[in-house]
Amino acid sequence: MRAPARSCREWRSQTARKPSTMKLGGAMVSESRLKNGMRVIVAERHTDPVVSSLLMYKVGSRYESEVEAGVSHFLEHMMFKGTPSFGKGEVDRITTELGGHNNAFTSYDHTGYWFEMASDRWEGVLAIEADRMQNLALDPAEFEAERNVVLEELAMSEDDPWRVLTQKVQTAMFPRHSYRWPVIGYPESLIPMTVDDMRRHYRKYYHPANATLVISGDVKKRAALAAARKYFGEIAPGEENASKPYGSFSEPVGETRIGMTWEDPAKRLCIAWPTTSVCSEDDYTLDIVTTILAQGRLSRLQRRLVLDEGLATSISISNECWVDGGSFWILAECAQDTEPAELERAIHEEVARLATDKVSAAELKRARSILLASEAYDCETVSDLGDELAEYAVDADWRCAFDEGERHAKVNSARIKECVGRLLKPTRRVVGWCLPK
Amino acid sequence: MNTHPQEFVSELKTAGRTPAPKLKAIRFELKCGAILLVDQRPGASVTAIKLHLKGGHSLDPVGLEGLASLTGSLLDQGTKHRTEEDIAELLEPKGGGLRGEANGVSGSIAGDAWKKLAELISEVVCEPSFPKDKFARQKGRLLDRLLIERDEPRAQAGRLFRKLIYGEHWMGRPTHGSFETVQKIERKHVVAFHAKNWCPTRAVIAVCGDVDPETACRFFDRKLQNWKPKKKLARPDVVFPERGQRCDAFFANRQQVHVYLGHLGITRDNPHYAALVVMDHILGTGPGFSNRISQKLRDEQGLAYTVHADVHSTAGVFPGMFTAYIGTSPEHIERATKGFLREMKRIRTELVDTSELELAQNYLLGSYALGFERAARRANFMISAERFGLPPDYLQSLPDRFAAVTAENVRAAAKACLHPEQPCFVVAGPVKKREVEALFSKLMGRRAAK
Repeated sequence: MRAPARSCREWRSQTARKPSTMKLGGAMVSESRLKNGMRVIVAERHTDPVVSSLLMYKVGSRYESEVEAGVSHFLEHMMFKGTPSFGKGEVDRITTELGGHNNAFTSYDHTGYWFEMASDRWEGVLAIEADRMQNLALDPAEFEAERNVVLEELAMSEDDPWRVLTQKVQTAMFPRHSYRWPVIGYPESLIPMTVDDMRRHYRKYYHPANATLVISGDVKKRAALAAARKYFGEIAPGEENASKPYGSFSEPVGETRIGMTWEDPAKRLCIAWPTTSVCSEDDYTLDIVTTILAQGRLSRLQRRLVLDEGLATSISISNECWVDGGSFWILAECAQDTEPAELERAIHEEVARLATDKVSAAELKRARSILLASEAYDCETVSDLGDELAEYAVDADWRCAFDEGERHAKVNSARIKECVGRLLKPTRRVVGWCLPK
Repeated sequence: MNTHPQEFVSELKTAGRTPAPKLKAIRFELKCGAILLVDQRPGASVTAIKLHLKGGHSLDPVGLEGLASLTGSLLDQGTKHRTEEDIAELLEPKGGGLRGEANGVSGSIAGDAWKKLAELISEVVCEPSFPKDKFARQKGRLLDRLLIERDEPRAQAGRLFRKLIYGEHWMGRPTHGSFETVQKIERKHVVAFHAKNWCPTRAVIAVCGDVDPETACRFFDRKLQNWKPKKKLARPDVVFPERGQRCDAFFANRQQVHVYLGHLGITRDNPHYAALVVMDHILGTGPGFSNRISQKLRDEQGLAYTVHADVHSTAGVFPGMFTAYIGTSPEHIERATKGFLREMKRIRTELVDTSELELAQNYLLGSYALGFERAARRANFMISAERFGLPPDYLQSLPDRFAAVTAENVRAAAKACLHPEQPCFVVAGPVKKREVEALFSKLMGRRAAK
């Protein structure tokens, strides 16, 4: 019997002896810790006079209960609503004044705050980040106004049939884990939410020991670290988030089917399986599987479903791995003159074939080459680079960004058969259809 | 010690402008007549190549709208020498890809394999074979897409809005055509369209990557030697409907409505261009929510997640559009639209505050270096510079033009180019057309039509 997949924690222990400075996308990358425990990763690359700052907290919807669903994302909005020092709108005003860009995003496992600036002025963004890490105002009137914005964002997503369908599938895939609810939350959780609820969440998770700062671009490591120390060095450390997710995983016991309708003629199909943690051996194997099935015109599903048999007008696959587990997605839009069952059957056949037949050496080589080449795009801008490092750093280990090619090279046909046979079997899948009303 | 945030804010006043991005396009006229622009980026991990073809969907014959787009999308589906699979086999393992559209073909590739990409772009442009089966498949996919789009409120709102502004002019037609027009397109139309319109004298090629300009020139000269010049493109008539109050609606049972308000915009050579860019950043675009419309409608009133307005981003050889957009709940339509109109009127009549003006200028001067990291973005800029006849020192001189804009310039530009009294207005979502018409009449101060 084959050994189970390694978790990211095990992988981390293996990489602990790796050097603290490495090269990625033409950048020298190094990790340091401030005395208060805050991690600072600097990726030094001087191609363009641009610096990106990405401050990521280890908190997202994974750490919410169902009645709190959406609080991490709502808080992310409120982080732009001011502190006693920086009033409402000041973050945007200062960003604009500096000629920079900012944004923020929330996922299941982390929340990130991003700035991009010309390299002669980037340091100022750290003053903003350090201030709002400690002193967020959470003004009740602003809270009410922003709640409406979040509800509008929710309404916008509920007008998108793909989003509605994939959320239903996600909920079915994780019946007992916090990954089942949408990051944005529900009206039922957002409407009764109070400022005090949010303040508790903020105080629990927003402090240096639970934060990773990635500074990438046209900056010297020494200057970046000095700036990080200057703005964050004296903030009380807090504690790293050791919260467990709400709920637990349960092994699916049979195929789940979901149906919904929409007021248009499209026939949308979503098939998904719960899978594995980020940076596990299975994660890399599923990257190869994704590429074999749907990356490029020579991939199996593109070839058969879209190009040869014309059963689908589009198909896409994603392998999404998070801290506690992951999911493998196949999304397809059925051609108008195709019966939904015919499309679904063809997809199931192609997935099953991977569990039974050997993948040729040429096909494996092609998949590895595509994944290797994609690394050039992953690091094309300093913000791309920062994003790659920060996500790996918070969810697993930033060094994962460096040896993806090596890990993909280790995936062989036998491993694919085993992994697909174990994780993508019919009894574990959720099949969702959105059909015309 | 932490620097207090306010100390930092005061230091911002000295921030000033950043150095202009380094982009030196070397220009060649190829033997075939096409223009080649090369931006050499030593060490770049990605090379982007874009071939822009003048004309695009303006050349669609009446009744066959969508032909230019379908022709472009079929270019990479096979040539006289290679199948679609051969092309994919050569490009995909190197992280490469090609995409054809009405206005040309573009692609990118990782590493040092740019010659492979350049060779294939040359081949698909000069010798496409338009295989019968690929034509049928591509047309079928497009028809499926158009059928579904018929029920998508945002797509329909965009179509109706363009139609109200441009009328029957080709700019009012969707690039991909309609279900009815695409149904009529046959393979022979595609072959004839390509033969007539895809010619080097209408083409501009931009290359950005770790590429030696002279080598690129020699390479393209060799690969495009059989591309035969034809007559240059005659500029089509530019006659648009008179400006006026027009409205339309599309009913769809959804949660949100998509509201478009605007009118005919400006060409890229508009004398107010620099002032209008500054105006847009004060009025309705730019980073975060520092502009007036986002502040009022999103930040203060919480009406929307997505709201913006601008006139400069669509400025081209032909006039673009002034567009104000909001996605909101049906009960907010009137409030949001009044907000748009109020801010349009205000910026036409009142001088903008010095602080707002400086903020917009500082953003434009400071953000100059950003956005030029991606090879594809740099290639697009080179194409635009060539199409609009921008001077070689454009990137260096534009900051001076932004810096020279005064509050009076902004007001004069707004007065000349914003027309809140004559807007086109489209709403798509769970609202009936007569309700939209009644609201529009009310907003325009007219008696509602019966």
